[in-house]
This record gives sequence, structure tokens and C-alpha cells, in this order.
Amino acid sequence: MAATADTGPAPPQAAPQKAGGLRNDPRVQMGGQLLGLAVVFAWCIFPFLWMVLVSFQGTVALRDANIFGGPFTTGNYTRVFEEGFMWNLGNSIFVALSTTVISILVASLAAYAIARLPIAYKFTILAGTLVATVFPPVSLVPPLFVAFNALGQLNTYQAMIIPYVALTLPLSIFILTTFFATIPKEMEEAAKVDGATPFQTFVRVVVPLAAPGVFAAAILVFVYAVNEYLIAFSLASGDPNVMTVTVAIATLDRVGFEEPIGTITAASTIVSIPLIIFALAAQRWIVSGLTAGGVKG
Amino acid sequence: MSKNPFLLRAVGLLAVLALVAAACGPAPDEDDEAAPDPEDTAFTWAVTGADGPTMEAVADLWNEENPEQQVELELLPPEADDQRQAMFNDQVTEAGQYDVLGLDVIWTGEFAEAGFIENLEDMRDSVEGTSIPGAIESAQHEGELYALPYSTNFGFLYYRTDLVDEPPETWEELYDTVLEVQEENPDIDGYVGQGDSYEGFVVNYLEFLWSDGGEVFDEAATESLLLEGDHAEKAITFMRDAFEEGVFAADFNTMVEDDARLAFQAGDAIFMRNWPYAYPLLAGEDEDDPTEVADDFDIAPMPAFEGAPVDTISTLGGLNNAVSTLSENQDVAREFVEWAATDDGPQEILAEMQPPPTKASIYENYEDIVPEDQAPVYEVLNLVREDARARPPVPGYNSFSLAVQEELHGVYADGDDPGPALEAVNEAAENALVEDPEDVIEEEADVDEDE
Amino acid sequence: MSERALGRAFLTPAFVVMGLLALFPIVYAAYESLFDFDFFTRTDFVGLANYVDQLTSPRFWSAVFVTIAFTVVSVTLEFIVGMIFALIMNAAFKGRNVTRAVILLPWVVPTVIAGQMWRYLFEQRPGYINEWLGLGAIDWLGSGASMFWAVVIADWWKTAPFVGLLLLAGLQTIPNEVYEAARVDGATWTQRFRNVTLPLLTPSIVVALLFRSVDALRIFDLADIMTNARLETLSVLAQRSIVRAPQPDIANTLAVLTFVMIMGIGLIFIAMMGRDVVGEPEEGS
Repeated sequence: MAATADTGPAPPQAAPQKAGGLRNDPRVQMGGQLLGLAVVFAWCIFPFLWMVLVSFQGTVALRDANIFGGPFTTGNYTRVFEEGFMWNLGNSIFVALSTTVISILVASLAAYAIARLPIAYKFTILAGTLVATVFPPVSLVPPLFVAFNALGQLNTYQAMIIPYVALTLPLSIFILTTFFATIPKEMEEAAKVDGATPFQTFVRVVVPLAAPGVFAAAILVFVYAVNEYLIAFSLASGDPNVMTVTVAIATLDRVGFEEPIGTITAASTIVSIPLIIFALAAQRWIVSGLTAGGVKG
Repeated sequence: MSKNPFLLRAVGLLAVLALVAAACGPAPDEDDEAAPDPEDTAFTWAVTGADGPTMEAVADLWNEENPEQQVELELLPPEADDQRQAMFNDQVTEAGQYDVLGLDVIWTGEFAEAGFIENLEDMRDSVEGTSIPGAIESAQHEGELYALPYSTNFGFLYYRTDLVDEPPETWEELYDTVLEVQEENPDIDGYVGQGDSYEGFVVNYLEFLWSDGGEVFDEAATESLLLEGDHAEKAITFMRDAFEEGVFAADFNTMVEDDARLAFQAGDAIFMRNWPYAYPLLAGEDEDDPTEVADDFDIAPMPAFEGAPVDTISTLGGLNNAVSTLSENQDVAREFVEWAATDDGPQEILAEMQPPPTKASIYENYEDIVPEDQAPVYEVLNLVREDARARPPVPGYNSFSLAVQEELHGVYADGDDPGPALEAVNEAAENALVEDPEDVIEEEADVDEDE
Repeated sequence: MSERALGRAFLTPAFVVMGLLALFPIVYAAYESLFDFDFFTRTDFVGLANYVDQLTSPRFWSAVFVTIAFTVVSVTLEFIVGMIFALIMNAAFKGRNVTRAVILLPWVVPTVIAGQMWRYLFEQRPGYINEWLGLGAIDWLGSGASMFWAVVIADWWKTAPFVGLLLLAGLQTIPNEVYEAARVDGATWTQRFRNVTLPLLTPSIVVALLFRSVDALRIFDLADIMTNARLETLSVLAQRSIVRAPQPDIANTLAVLTFVMIMGIGLIFIAMMGRDVVGEPEEGS
């Protein structure tokens, strides 16, 4: 399945065989690779690790730059659970899944039209797509509030899902357009010869071949939807039943000016779990998608 | 076409996760937030989520006493910007979701001028003589009440009893004390407080200004007095010198309340300016938030400058409750606002929890009301109370405040020239007063351009 | 259904949703920016006076400069690291799955939280970054260039995985045969990267750069949280006049100007990717 991945332009494996020299010593190469990986790990992990460790220590961790000092406690997690945070997490996952499915479906259609179908003014259409994503979010909120209030849709799931879909469509469309454009036309032709309608061709041939793009877009949309705060707060914070995690984190219990860093980091750690699961699952499809699609096509 | 089993599994897993997550936690309606029976909900109270548990207790008490006219509590994020955004959205779109607005004391003029909140002047008799004067002052716009006091907050000086014998009474004394203590303990920080570029810095700056006898406005709020005398410059240059000399902690310029509290609680500082909320935490109330100074700190009124006409000063914080002009439940909303200001029930909840109440009688009889470990706070609050001052709730207060943050932070922290910065703040202060706000806006645009 | 009709049908849902959501706010802001405001109440029609005010304001241009500098620096860094991430995630080695998970960690932290996190990390007390890297007592967040770099680093950390993911997906569509052929021809890794990978990856690179730039040009959260708005970008300035001290005329004008600027930059990118993606240039009607 993952055959493609193995032969990609991977710097370590594909390192050129130059004659002689230190670089050819496999141990040196190995060491270099490990060093490089260690840098990547440190860069990515340390801030995240800081967050996780603070969540188990609370403010004690803010005393000393040594974040491994302890004492450790799970008290912050207990508090987060007691505040009904898991309900909010359920809301977030629901909103994000809905957003992802709708955004990717709608974007696939549009992207296919742009990349493949004979329509006029493609440049203008692509440019028009971008419009939805270039407005400063703070400026977007007041008019959105007016609209959703007029429709009586404040504090509902759709008050988040609809704006999220609209705001993620440009990215999804651009990603998918580039991927559809790279699919060899011959494969579609072949399907047509076999008597498939354009729509069937799209569903059976094009979408599977574009799987890496589809899943890359899906991850990005899903993560965006879970992490969005401004719209979730402005349009849907009035009803605790639909409140999402980012808003819940902002309103965690506190006394006075206390910054409840322990519960904030605990809540953020909990949020990251479904995100990582989703990202890893979808990511496997980025890497294995092409081969799978190619076989079926 | 074979389906994608892996994808299905992943989506399935997430769906299950969502369900499990929802099942693990209580549904929001079941938890202990004040969630009234929707049928009896008469009105909504939107207020900051800082001290959320206190607000919940107050709402619960009201609902207990008024089963027919229940209040729904809407806790907004503690960030002032978020509260303002939510309230502006509600007002500008005329959504009218909120009946009672819990307003930061500095917003009264702005909200009143904009026509967002009802004139409550006819309720003056119920708070005059009952609430502390500074709180009433902060609830007024052009001399009339547009909100009623609810909670307040005072700043005072926390100091280390193991390092300092007597709390300093003047800023000069504090300055020298820090340098003396640091000679023996070179690693300890001197003074921590609120120095980041935000409203807390304005609070701190005003305390320096006022404690030298300086004023932002005249009594009737008709003109800026900021540049009368050299108080404004003395206040900011004192801060600059203290910051440069290491009397202020090196990170004073990025500190907010809780940064200062954590530093002091870790035993890193000699003096701290902060609100009462820090007291129980420093005393070790929360075992997950350990303290190094439990037995080594005490509190005292803030110092003043030598030769100043005042001995101490404190900027008042807190919340006033206002009635939204969009409310369709004006009667019950007014009733609630008055109850929250004057009834012993809610005011005693504030005294038992946080933040401090505005009802004067509670300070007089605090020994019978507040928990024993909080008594020292009320002792000091009684000393501070008379001299505490509201920030002037003029319509353009926020523009003035932003000018202070944007201009003066650089003066003390980065060594900018105080002259032009103070000129700009003075201009913002003048503009904050102008009767016709349209001129304010235009002139502000000019200020922006001049920068 | 003809292909042309199918194309229109396929485009309709996307443009209905985007049109409803995005067009309304933009038209609304553009219209309102032509008026003066008395707090929140619209008063006189002033034509383009608000634009003249902003375009002659040094503060506006300073925000433009900060925003563009931030965008150029952070997007460049994110692109370089994102490319490295993509190559690593694409490579076959033991522990690849763990590595992939690790690389994605920064991206799953909500921006608001990432901002708070980096604020703590950069603060002098207890000085995590200063101590971990042995830097002494640097006041990262106070002012000037260090504050700029602190926000760049936070954004860099947070969004490099975004670029990495997009490029990884792009790498996956490059057929093996192309590499095989190059290898048979004796091309070194560097040559293969430059002559095979980069050209074939161009569409993905352009999309990644486009969306990162668009996002970076609207930077608000990190600047607001980490520096309490001292790093004054265009969005910070806009938010000031929307929430902190409401002046809708300034707010709307800024929104429109930001829109125009980002759209202009976006069009350059689209023109760059146009031929690759759309096939022929403009087909006309």
C-alpha cells in the first residue's frame, strides 16, 4: 500500500552515493538523520509537552523553568470534567465533522468543475473563491451576527457550521482543484469509453485518485473547525447545549483575576486527542490513497 | 466500489468519541449552573465569567426568592474585549438577548451615551447612602445614574513581613526600601503590579497620578487637568526610573494581575500592587496552587508621593448592573438590579466569596459576615475605602484608556519621550469629554494620524 | 447532462454558501465605510473621506508595514520548515508514524491557547525559553524587534505543519516512475529535488503559500494575546476600532482596505497557479 511513500524524494534514504568521504559512512548518515529527527521532535514537542506538563502541575509549573519538577496531580482534569467539558467536546466534534463532510463534498464538486469541466471564466471563478477568505475575521462577525439573528439562528449548531463551511471552502476548493488537475486525463477517458457518465467518472475515478488532496483538506478543515473561537463565541455561546470547547475553555471557572492555567492546559490537552486521532487517520489516507485509487481506477 | 474501511473506522471512532464525551460529562442543564426552568425564565443577566461561581450563587439566590421570575445567567468570557463584543452585537443588531448587563465600572458613560442602557436616576434614593460613594460615582453619566452598583474592587499593597518591618507610606520610601532589601538579597524583585499595555496598567498609572495630587478631569468632568502641574509627568517618570533601576521587576512591563500574584506567591517579590483576590491564594487557600509566603506577607493601603495632599489612593474596579434599553422585561430587570445593589443576600454572597460588595454596611459589620480568613482584607479595605476613586466613566473613557496604554507604556518601559506622549494622552482625555461624540471620533482620527 | 451544465451545477452549491456568507459582510462594510458614525449610529454620507483619512495616516501605514513584514518572514520560515516536514513524513523509516503524529502536534493546539502558551514560554518569569536556550534575561515580549520575532516564532511553530501536510499530499501525487527515470539517469538527490519534485509540486506549493499568506496578513490572535496588541497589525488596528473603542467608520474602512490588499496579493498567486491548474488561460465566454 505504502509503496509510493518509500520511494519519494526522501533525503535520508535517497542520499546520493558520492565516492568516499565521511558522508558515505552509514553510521555518520544514521547519526545525521537521528540528529535531524531529534531537532524536529524537540521543536514540535517541547511547547506541547510544556502544555501537558502544566496541566498535571498547575501553577507550580510556572515557578521554575524546569517543567519536569512536579509535584504532579490530576486535579485539573477532574475540575475540567466536573465543569461539563466533555459535553462541549462532543459539540466540537459534531460541528467539526459536519463542517468537514459538507465542505469537502461541496468543494469537490466545485473543484472538479474548475479543474476539468469546460466552463468559462475559470480565473475569475478561482479569484471569486478567494473572496470568502480574505476578510479580517473580526470584521466578519458583526454582519454575520446581524444575519443569523435576523434568521433566528443564533446559538445553534448551524450558526457555526454554515460560516465554517463558507470560510473553509476556498481552501478546500483550491487544494482539490490542484489535485484534480494532476490526474491524468486518460483515466477519465477510459472510464468514459466504458460507458460511465461524467458524474460516475467523477465519483469512481477522480475522487479516489485525488485522495491525498481530499484527506489533506479534510484534516485542515476539521482542525480549523475545532479550534475556531471568534465565531463560536459570537454566534453560539448563549446556549450551553451547543457551546464548543474553545468557548468553554475561555469561560472555565476562575476567581477574580486568576488565570486558571492548569485547567486551561488540561482542557486543551483533552481537545488535542480527537484532533490527533482524526489527523493520523486521515493522514494515512494521504499517503496510501494514491496507490489504492490507482489500483481501483 | 469498495468503501474505505479505514476512513469509515476513523469517522466511526470519532462519532463514538463524541458520544462518549457527551455521556461522560453531565449535560449542561443538569450541572450546577443556574439553569432555571425555561418556562419561568423572565430575563437574562449577562456578566463576566470571572468569579463565575459567585455570579451563579447570586443568580441561584434570586431564583430561590423569585420562582415565578427566574433569571438566566449568561456568563461571558473574562476578557473585556469579548464581553464588549457580545454586548455590542446584541445592541447594534437589536437582538435584545440580554436584559441586565453587568458592566465594568468604566463603561457606564460609553453605554449610556450610545443609548444602550436605561436611565436609572429614579432609583437613586435606594443606593444613595447604601452603596459606597465611589461605586455610585462610577455608575453615573452626566450626573445621572445609568446603572446601580453591584461589586467593587480595591487595590492595595501586599508586602513581605519577613523582609520589611513596616509597610512604606510613600512611594519614595518604597523605592528606597526595595534598594535596601536588594542589597542583602540581590536576587529578589522589588515591586510587581500591572504593567502590561492594558486596562490594568491604566489603573496602576492613575494610582501614581492621583497619589501625587494629579487629576485627569475637573470635578464636573468638563476639561482635562492632566497637564496641570507636573503630576502626570512625575508619575510616569517615577515608573520609568523604578523600572530602569530594578525597583520594579524586570518583567513588570508584561505583567497582568495573575503574573504579579504568581511572582509574589513564589516568594520572588517584596511588594505587590494587587486586588483582594490574591489574598486567600497567597495564604494557601488552594492546595494545588502552593504558596511560599503564607506566613510572611501582609497588606496595607497603597503609598502616596511625599508631600501629596492624600495619604493613600486606590483605583476602584468592579461591576455595575444596568438595564438594557432593548429589554422587554424592564420591570423585573430593574427589580433585579436594585436587589443586587441593596439587598443583603447578594451583597453578602459577594462578601463571602469574591469580588467585594458595594453595600457600605457590610464593611461596617464585616466581622459578622466575611469568613475569618478574609477579615484582614476588610480591615484594610476599610482604611482604603474612603480614599478609593472611580476611574471617570466619561463617554470616551475607552479611547482615553487606550491612549494611556499606547502612549505611556512605551515611556516607562522603552524610554520614549514623555512630553509628546502626555500631550497625546491629554488630547485623548479632552476628546473623551466632548459632548458631541461625532467630534470625538473625528478628532480621534486626527490623533491617530498625528502619531 | 452536458459537461458545461454539469460544471455549472457543480459550482452552484459552493458559490451559494460563500456568496451568502462572504459577500454580505464585504458589501455591508464597503457601504458603511462611506458614512460617518456617531458611535454606532450612521450619520452623514462622506464619500471616500474615511479612506483619505486612513491612507494619509502614518499609523495605518505602520500597521501595513508590520503586517507585510510579518507575513513575508513567517510564511518564508513556515514554507522551509513545512517542506522539511513533508519530506520527512513522506520518507520511509522506522517510527514514521510517531514522527507524523509529533509533527502534527503544533497544528492541533487552538490558536488562542497557542498564544497563551507562547506568552508564558517567552515571559521572563520563569523564563522557559531564556533558560532552556541559555539566553539570559531577554525581554522578548516587551517591545520592538524581539516582540515581532516572538510572534513570528509562535506562528511559525503553529502553522508549519499546515504547509507540511499540503506539501505531503502534493508529494504523493508525483508518480514513482518519474523518480525512477531520474534515478536511472544518474541524477543526485539534489538534482531530483530541484528538477523533478519542485516543478511537479508547484501547484501544492502555490496553494500552501497563498493560504498561509492570506492567513498571515490577517494575523490577530497571537499579536493580541502575546503582546497585548503592542504589535499593531492591520487586524489588531481593525479590532481596536470595532471592540475596544468603537468607531465603525474606521473599522469598516480598514476592513475594506485589508480586503483589497489581500485580494491583490491573492490574485498574483492565482495568476501564478492559473496555467497549471486551469489548463488554458482565460477561455472567454
